[in-house]
Amino acid sequence: MDKNRSKQLVFLGLIFLIFVIYTLRLASLQLGEVPYKKMAINNALNKITLYPSRSNVFDRKGKLMVYSTQMYDLSVFPYEIKKLDTGLLCSVLELDIQTVRGLIADARVRAKKRQKNNSFNNSALFYANLSNKQFTLLRENIYRLNGFFIESRTDRQFATPTLSHALGYLGEADEELIASDEYYQPGDLVGITGLERYYEKQIRGIKGVKTVWQDRTYTERGVVKDTQFNYPATAGPDVISSLDFVLQEYGRELLNGKKGSIVAIEPRTGEVLAFINNPDYDPNTMVGRDRANTFKTLLRDPQKPLYNRAVKGVYPPGSTFKTVMALIAMQEGVLTPETTHGCGGGYRLGSIRVGCHPHGGPLDLRGSIRISCNSYYCQVFRDIIDNPEYGNVKVGYAALEKHWRSFGLGSPLDIDLLGESRGNIPSVSQLDKRHGDRWKSSTIISLSIGQGEILLTPLQMCNTAAIIANRGWYYAPHLVKRIDGYKDTAWDRKYKIKKFTTVDPRYFQYVIDGMSDVTKPGGTANGTGIENIEICAKTGTAQNPHGKDHSIYIAFAPKDNPKIAIAVLVENGGFGATWAAPIANLMIEKYLLGKAESAEPAMEERIKTSVIQ
Amino acid sequence: MRYSPLSTNNQEKIDSLAVFLYVVLLLIGFISIASATSDVNQAFYSLSDIAIKQLVFIFGAILIIFTIVFSNVVVIDYFAYGFYAIAIALNILVLFLGREISGAKSWFGFGGFGIQPSEFAKVATAIALSKFLGTYGVKFQGTKNVAKAIGIFLLPMAIILIQNDTGSALVFLSFFLVLYREGLPGYILVSAVWLGILAIFRIISEATGISSFYGYGILLGLGSIIVFFVRKDRGIAILVTTIAVISSLFYTIVGTFYSKILMQYQRDRIELVLGLKEDDRGMGFNLKQSKIAIGAGEMWGRGYLKGTQTKMGFVPEQHTDFIFDAIGEEWGFVGSTLFLLIFCGLLVRLVIMAERQSTVFGRVLGYSLASVLFFHMSINIGMTMGLVPTIGIPLPFISAGGSSLWAFTLFLFTFLRVDQVRK
Repeated sequence: MDKNRSKQLVFLGLIFLIFVIYTLRLASLQLGEVPYKKMAINNALNKITLYPSRSNVFDRKGKLMVYSTQMYDLSVFPYEIKKLDTGLLCSVLELDIQTVRGLIADARVRAKKRQKNNSFNNSALFYANLSNKQFTLLRENIYRLNGFFIESRTDRQFATPTLSHALGYLGEADEELIASDEYYQPGDLVGITGLERYYEKQIRGIKGVKTVWQDRTYTERGVVKDTQFNYPATAGPDVISSLDFVLQEYGRELLNGKKGSIVAIEPRTGEVLAFINNPDYDPNTMVGRDRANTFKTLLRDPQKPLYNRAVKGVYPPGSTFKTVMALIAMQEGVLTPETTHGCGGGYRLGSIRVGCHPHGGPLDLRGSIRISCNSYYCQVFRDIIDNPEYGNVKVGYAALEKHWRSFGLGSPLDIDLLGESRGNIPSVSQLDKRHGDRWKSSTIISLSIGQGEILLTPLQMCNTAAIIANRGWYYAPHLVKRIDGYKDTAWDRKYKIKKFTTVDPRYFQYVIDGMSDVTKPGGTANGTGIENIEICAKTGTAQNPHGKDHSIYIAFAPKDNPKIAIAVLVENGGFGATWAAPIANLMIEKYLLGKAESAEPAMEERIKTSVIQ
Repeated sequence: MRYSPLSTNNQEKIDSLAVFLYVVLLLIGFISIASATSDVNQAFYSLSDIAIKQLVFIFGAILIIFTIVFSNVVVIDYFAYGFYAIAIALNILVLFLGREISGAKSWFGFGGFGIQPSEFAKVATAIALSKFLGTYGVKFQGTKNVAKAIGIFLLPMAIILIQNDTGSALVFLSFFLVLYREGLPGYILVSAVWLGILAIFRIISEATGISSFYGYGILLGLGSIIVFFVRKDRGIAILVTTIAVISSLFYTIVGTFYSKILMQYQRDRIELVLGLKEDDRGMGFNLKQSKIAIGAGEMWGRGYLKGTQTKMGFVPEQHTDFIFDAIGEEWGFVGSTLFLLIFCGLLVRLVIMAERQSTVFGRVLGYSLASVLFFHMSINIGMTMGLVPTIGIPLPFISAGGSSLWAFTLFLFTFLRVDQVRK
């Protein structure tokens, strides 16, 4: 072959070689495994989350209790920060340069995490909850801050500070939640306690998305014209709570200066009308930038304002428990309304002595409740568990325990709040552990008057009152009447099915008769009653090894067709009649008569202004 | 009138296939630029400023074509060294009067327009080289003539290196291919390739921390084994020994140069291209985005005006050096391969035409054109696909910009005009 010809072939060969190599390379890039197209789309699309408003929550009469407010966050594409005018950012946010650097580092970490969940976006929250001033300044200067943009989301505004323990508060979603639920991204608000937590999935609404084209400098270049990428946020549906706002406010006022709880339930439905604790906190301080700081302060507060006494606090029910004992004894056939027991200022059995206050001679059932005779119930208690039919005290006790549990005691009532305590109903084995194997009725005699190992939450006390009001049944108490457009069979199963006690309805009337005497002359809460309302009640005084006894009172009214059942507990309040009774009775008055001015202004004033240390 | 190898009465028709391929490439270039610089959500695009400017450049190119077609071809021969001198002068002048753009001082600024004299130096150098090698009595033999020939393109290369435009300077290496055609022994080119391979291996061992002794071991070990088997033939044994020793020496020099003399950013760049380093956000961002753009095209492309990588500026220099990304992203594997085919088709055509020249002048000019275009195309497209280092040179006829388009148009049509008067 001609030498020149072969040289020409070398040239042609080179061209061919490059063509082949480059075609193969094109094939590996364009037809290969790496999802370049997806990467290209991720580059150019920014999915901006549109945050929905959380549900508005109304009280049972339509009063708005909590609603959403707009707040603004500064978000960033952290990898674009290198050209950042740090000085500008520092001055707008009023932060020092160290803090800003720290925030940038945090944002990088968040962006990485977020990208795992949401492949479309590698932006991250930079600074949450801009103040009005910061927002205004940023909106003017945002074009100078490459990669930064402002996102809006919603926060909460509460109509009153008294709702904290019922409604709960919001907090930022923690890492665990973000990892387990794709819905959440760093910086998202989520219900931490109360209804906000329990109904989070319903209340939060549905996030929307606005997808925009963005260029290399993260500047928006118009909305993507594809409905698949754009849909509005859907606000959370209206939530109608069972609470009565007016009653709630009033009860909180009555509890001023005192530690304790008030729980009120509509017996017919199990709907909670009032749910009050003191101390509590103003949920409006738990929003915005100061949320974390406020939370820390509250957590350290020795008064424990975050402590939800109504469902977490457990107390011996004291004499209020006599109502339950009487009902069970009648069901067990060891007590009739006519049964009388004497009392010589106390109950003595061998070395055991249960004291009683001085009162007139042998009492029947009705009188025993009116007077709250300890001796009477020590006898009743022994009659139940030492019943020869059982042959053995433990078998007798087990029967008693079963009756107790049918009142919803010893286990959570399943209210729509998390963290509800079960209280305590001692089991046989628990008593064995405590007292040794060979205990007798006399060993555990204090259970007869609601002392000892028996512990109830204020909610359980109130529910007991509701059961008596209903003559033997209850609905699991709940704080939500309904959520618009929300249908849930599990919810219905929980709150729409009657639960019956093991006590026959016909026995309730005798106990109720006794309770209706309590606020009348000769009753333990004489003088606290309300004119024109027949209140059925029982006082209690829970022994407190740490200090002054707790004042307890359960009640319902009216006697026939009851509209409200209530339990009040005032820590260190002494006798039930001293504090709990007047507070509960004023609440009943407020709810049933709705009067602007109390029929008992002197009592009301005394309660509101009293402080128990 | 002096004798000129180009003076003839016999005029062929201008090569229509080459012109056709040129026009096709120009069209592809224009629509790619229009797309790469268009805005999103634009159903019927209105031309961007850059695309309109390119349209002006294209009209300028047409003027150049007509000027050449209607000029006397002899002028090229007569003023070959004159053109060369002007080009050299302009490239020196730009060092003092030029405008600095991204670190390189290689632009004359005229308001909104700029002229890059280094682009025109290529065609001037090619004409000068053709003239020199075509001069009666000059043979591509003997140290003096070879040195002169090499000097013709090393001079502009050196000046352009001073302008700090490494990419444009490297283009002049493609003239070695022309010299190969004109008689430069092939083993020189093969040696260069061999040294290139050695250099790459040394860089890999430096960058990855593998001991360089493996390299020496292989070179000297392999050399010894070969020498052992061919020991009867002293000539070959000595040759192999020499190659092994020189290679080892070169191996050492590259290692020292790489680790002691190169700057960190230069090392980074080289290591990125060799795939020794993953850096998606810093140095490697551009390369990564470029690969994403091409890869996103998949088989059929994302559709014209729908390539978000180029449109949204994720790809750097998306309308100039990285214009191939727009083709890759919007037209996919099918479109890109077709484009490669068209471009290589033009190259093949030019090689065939160069070979059919009766004069050394015409042949050298033709091979120069083919070599320079080949170098530009391989480096530019290879760069966008991450096959060669990021060297900023345009894709001829496709990239936006007037200097490159006009210079290559001038180059191509000068040769086509010369081709017309071949005997």
